[in-house]
Amino acid sequence: MPATNLLQGTLDLLILKALALTGMHGLGISHRIAQMTNGTFQVKPGSLFPALHRMEEAGWLSSAWGDSENKRRAKFYRLTAAGRRQLQAETRQWETIALAMASALQAS
Amino acid sequence: MQWPSRLASLRRNLREPARVDRDLDDELHAYLDQLSDEKRAAGMAAPEARRAARIELGGLEQVKEEVRQVRSGHMLAELLQDLRYGMRMLRNNPAFTVVAVLALALGIGANTAMFSVAYGVLMRPLPYADADRVAVVFMRYFPRDFAFGTMCMRDYLMWKEDNRAFEDPSLFTNRRMDIGGREGVPEQVQGAFVTAGFFSTLAVHPLIGRTFAPGEDKPTTASLAVLGESIWRRRFAASSAVLGQTILVNGAPAMVIGVMPGVFQFPMRQTEVWTNLLLNPPTRYGPWFYRGVARLKPGVTLEQAQLELNRIGLRMMQQNSFYKRLTLPVLSLRDAMLGVTLKPAILVLAGAVGLVLLIAVVNVANLMLARATVREREMALRLSLGAGRGRLVRQLLTESVLLAAMGGVAGLALAWGGIHLVRAWNPGNLPFIDSVRLDLGALSFMLLVSMVTGVLFGLAPALESARADLNATLKEGGRAGAASQSRGRTRAALVVCEIAVSAMLLVGAGLLLRSFANLQGATGGFSAPPRQILTMLISPGNQKYKEARPGLAFYDEVLRVARGVPGVEIATVTDSLPPDQQGDADSFMMEGQTLAPGELNPIVSDVTTGPEFFQALGIPLVKGRYFTVHDGPDAAPVTIVSEGFARRFFPDQEAVGKRIKQSGPGSGNPWMEIVGVVGNVKYLGFTVDTDPAYYLPFAQSYGQRMFLAVRSRGDAALLAAPLRRQIQAIDPGVTLAQIATLEQARTLSVSQPRFDTMLLSLFAGIALLLAAVGIYGLIGYAVAQRTHEIGVRMALGAAQADVVRMVVRQGVSLAVIGIVLGLGGAFALTHLLKAMLFGIGVTDPLTFAVAPLGMMLVVLLATLVPALRATRISPVAALRYG
Repeated sequence: MPATNLLQGTLDLLILKALALTGMHGLGISHRIAQMTNGTFQVKPGSLFPALHRMEEAGWLSSAWGDSENKRRAKFYRLTAAGRRQLQAETRQWETIALAMASALQAS
Repeated sequence: MQWPSRLASLRRNLREPARVDRDLDDELHAYLDQLSDEKRAAGMAAPEARRAARIELGGLEQVKEEVRQVRSGHMLAELLQDLRYGMRMLRNNPAFTVVAVLALALGIGANTAMFSVAYGVLMRPLPYADADRVAVVFMRYFPRDFAFGTMCMRDYLMWKEDNRAFEDPSLFTNRRMDIGGREGVPEQVQGAFVTAGFFSTLAVHPLIGRTFAPGEDKPTTASLAVLGESIWRRRFAASSAVLGQTILVNGAPAMVIGVMPGVFQFPMRQTEVWTNLLLNPPTRYGPWFYRGVARLKPGVTLEQAQLELNRIGLRMMQQNSFYKRLTLPVLSLRDAMLGVTLKPAILVLAGAVGLVLLIAVVNVANLMLARATVREREMALRLSLGAGRGRLVRQLLTESVLLAAMGGVAGLALAWGGIHLVRAWNPGNLPFIDSVRLDLGALSFMLLVSMVTGVLFGLAPALESARADLNATLKEGGRAGAASQSRGRTRAALVVCEIAVSAMLLVGAGLLLRSFANLQGATGGFSAPPRQILTMLISPGNQKYKEARPGLAFYDEVLRVARGVPGVEIATVTDSLPPDQQGDADSFMMEGQTLAPGELNPIVSDVTTGPEFFQALGIPLVKGRYFTVHDGPDAAPVTIVSEGFARRFFPDQEAVGKRIKQSGPGSGNPWMEIVGVVGNVKYLGFTVDTDPAYYLPFAQSYGQRMFLAVRSRGDAALLAAPLRRQIQAIDPGVTLAQIATLEQARTLSVSQPRFDTMLLSLFAGIALLLAAVGIYGLIGYAVAQRTHEIGVRMALGAAQADVVRMVVRQGVSLAVIGIVLGLGGAFALTHLLKAMLFGIGVTDPLTFAVAPLGMMLVVLLATLVPALRATRISPVAALRYG
């Protein structure tokens, strides 16, 4: 099923949100995003991994190797303190935009 | 906030790129494993699941590349990688690298040096305030027909009276000055007499002391001197005590009032002493010694000033009827200092070196194109492995810049050396040469040009192949496709262009070489071997030698002493010498001639010589006799005329026995009987048509300052030291200057043309070399491309000669097109050389025949090497690997 094009910046917010509760590996993150958005967003590895690495370099995520649920080695990502602040900031910003967009689209 | 983390990543990415990359690889493989686990769990077979996972991932290498792109410092990392890769490419193709770098270095170096010189000499602002507002005023009139000649005091006063265009016109004249005094041995230097406003007109300020104050050119003023920095350092140890000191200038005392800085080089580069010219009210016309220098009034252009001077010239002619066709040409200060021959020569050389750059650049373009063809496959492979097109372009850019930078560094070294060479050489006294330095603007421009070329010709095919069908290119396996065929045509066109431009330069160099040979072969009208004649200018110094009797006695003593020096065969004196020491010039009257009022015979050389002058130089006697010792001060006045003089003024008559007198009507000079006719001698330069001349015996026409000329059995240069010692023993106040053999004088007089010729030949040589490399590369490449075809032909029975002919024909046909184009260009352009040529026309048939032949020979050689290599192709090998 064709995934809706992710808005620039939306992917970051989705990843931050996906990791808000617990650390996860790449595949887990993409599953979690699909689940959170009821399958609307299917994140391809070609977008996911560059985003993860970029956010890690920005200091929002930290990564560590660990064992997956079925005993495979996998790289786990978790939010840093800066990542949490970023999540809050981006959430507020998104809500403002969403509100503004909704009222704009309802205007007659 | 983000920065500490980013910096940490940057450090990690740059310092441990391998570990970072391995980590990424692990991560992606782990992801793949997990994904295929999932697929398997959903019921797929193992290999199936693995495949599906891979498809979902969408190209492991592409994903990796995408991740790398977002990493901190990836630009820097890529740049470093590109640089490393570029260096490796250049190292692995040494022939390509050496040729490209050498071509660029030659082009960049020669051009930077030449343009630095051209800028320094032609364009750099003069070290005078508002120098473009200062003009030099000359006078041209018949019968003395000099394009940029001199005026006399009366003309100056008249100009000054009618002048509106200039502020306060000043007057100056160059003069050799004997400087003596308590400070050291007398020496002769270049000096100038200038009026009081001279320095303020040029807006220059002294290093110490002062320059002339207004009114210090009035007849009653004492003699004052301003020194140049060099003589001040040399003779006065750069001491400020020199101010107020009295020195001897030409035997007369003058007080030093100031010192000018070394950058002040006017009227001549070598001028070291300026004394105040006293404006004595003239009683007659002449002598014509002076030129004017003046500053334009605000708002007045040079053209307007010229118009006004034209009107003043007309009035001068009305006032004095012997002036004919009089004009007062005006030149800007720079043009006046450059002289009329230098500027075109520099422009021609700059143009020629520009063509060399063109060839160098074309060569690099050619090499880049050839390489692009070879690398088509590499590019396709890298694209298919996930390299972005932008990335490839950046990579090629890096390589081009690397190449240009290497060429630039080598070129910089060449330019540096070249400029120092020119400065040390200083052909024909280029003015402002001391201010010539490496011009960074020129260097950056050359670098830019070469870089743009490299990028353009490296990039265009790269982009083309980037767009091309990858599958096709990979399958083609590097064999010539449609793209490389059109590229082949472009390369052929570039080689044709190289050959054309080289042929043009060859013709230009050929013309200058032939002209220079003519110059070397030119004789001055005398038969003595130039190296056996030593000359020196003698200034007696002592004021008592102003008078003829003691003066003649002094010179008798000089000649007696000189004849006593071992090796001296003949010793004599003269005031004129070939190739370029003209003494005086004057008009004359013929007995029985009636001149209309105001009319004057032409002004021609009048040469004063000692009795044995003609024998010493080997000037042939045509009729009558030479001067003898009996033509003394009290004997009947006699003269000898040149053949040209006799033919022009006594056509169809016997000149010997006729009488003439010096100067125009009304002069009190005695009638002189013509006792002989001698061959023409060139006193105005070997390249100038001989001036008619009449000779006066020294004893009847005494002058204080004379050249001593001695003829020796062997090398006359060896006589300089003993002669100097002997003559200075007569009187320590004597100044000896310009000591040189005629050979040396002649060499000096052709130093400018020699410089032009050598430089243009050098440029043509470089061009030829580059063109040869270009055609060699093209043909060699074509042979490599056609290995398969040639193998087939040979297998089918083609003889080696056929193969050679086939390959050579390709080169020759390109050469023919190029040479024809080049000759056309040469025909259109050689007229620019007109002023630099002596004894041949601008379309000299021999040059136009030999230059193309030479070009063709070089092309044949460059083609023959790959052609012979083609004959060694083994059909079996060619068919197997082709």
